[in-house]
Amino acid sequence: MPPTTLYSACVASAIGLYLLMRGTRGGVRGFGTILALGGLAWLLSETFASIEGAVGPTIVPLVFGVIAVMAAVRVITHRRPVFAALYFILVVVASAALFLMLHAEFMAFALIIVYAGAILITYMFVLMLAQQSPTESGDAGSAWYDRTPREPAIALLAGFILLATLVEAMDGSRARHFDTMNDSVAARAVQQPWDDLGRMPRELLRSARLVDPQVAEVLDTPKVADGLARVRVRLEDGSETELTLSPASRPSNTRVVGLGLVADYPVSLELAGVILLMAMFGAVVLCRKQMELGEDEARQAAGLPEGGPQQ
Amino acid sequence: MSMLPTLGTVLAETPAELIDPRSMQIVLVFSALLFVIGLVGFLTRRNMIIMFLCTELMFQGAALAMIAFGRMHMDVSGQVFVIFILTVAAAEAALALGLVILLYRKRDTLDAEAWSELREC
Repeated sequence: MPPTTLYSACVASAIGLYLLMRGTRGGVRGFGTILALGGLAWLLSETFASIEGAVGPTIVPLVFGVIAVMAAVRVITHRRPVFAALYFILVVVASAALFLMLHAEFMAFALIIVYAGAILITYMFVLMLAQQSPTESGDAGSAWYDRTPREPAIALLAGFILLATLVEAMDGSRARHFDTMNDSVAARAVQQPWDDLGRMPRELLRSARLVDPQVAEVLDTPKVADGLARVRVRLEDGSETELTLSPASRPSNTRVVGLGLVADYPVSLELAGVILLMAMFGAVVLCRKQMELGEDEARQAAGLPEGGPQQ
Repeated sequence: MSMLPTLGTVLAETPAELIDPRSMQIVLVFSALLFVIGLVGFLTRRNMIIMFLCTELMFQGAALAMIAFGRMHMDVSGQVFVIFILTVAAAEAALALGLVILLYRKRDTLDAEAWSELREC
């Protein structure tokens, strides 16, 4: 896409967001919403126009992406923090839908469970704990620091310069990538599931037994030829033969993610566990109340008898 | 009932085909937008809890880009990295919210500007 168009779309969205953040009257905020949406639509249509040749079902990413972005804008502009947190749940659900579209089923559901289920509940707890209860409904009930943004102009300038850079970088790299990469990736897409199955011996034996119950041992990993996966097996009577595995025995997304996690990144997995443990300790230490104990109370807490050694 | 395919069968029968470059580009633009909106929110909001919520928005943008690139290269590493992102996000939420509670107890406000002077309190 031409740089001037990209920059104009970014400037339009930035001005719209500025009005949305700064405006106090409904009319100004409405105009800001329209301007920001217009900038977004311009950016998206330019992105569409810059890709040639490919046609496909793009309505799903478009719909859920727009939902995610609009909810994200509400997160940063809503004046009631609890509602901002609720809009963040909408962002999470919409990105989970995008994950599903990208064939990352396990991560989609893990995202909803971990983010919407656990992290956001923690945020809500803290919000309820630390927020003065609003006496009136509407904007007037929120605290002043929720109503006034801090330096929106500079923040928007920095943010949208970053956006323009990112979009332009993606635009430039895409053309090179999709032309040179397609063949190798298509070959890998056929081969990869069977390689993964070959790394799971028990699963491989199970899927071989689905084809022929007489299989005693699988002798090597599946080999792919003409789109069919074949594997050499030894039957129970000692004879060796070759089986064609059913396409349904390709490992599911959850198995593949688990295999990648445990087989390819074992050290990172351990480190992630350490990080979680340390975060737990940190949270406990931070939130503990400091209590000044008298001497008797300290002795009691330590399990010593009342009084002192002088008795 | 048997006429309706379940989600599982639909996903199992969908061939592992290459992603449409147009969908790919759209998803990448949305991931950039989520990241930028999170960045702008972190810089502009004064409420400390919402500031940390905006960092979670940035995590979302990064995770979406990782999943999209993993799909583009037919590699599972992108999804594995998102698991680590989730771990870091959970750890960050626990620590950050603990800090926010601590700060709220001292100054009785969630305004980040209340802590603009660096001194012992």
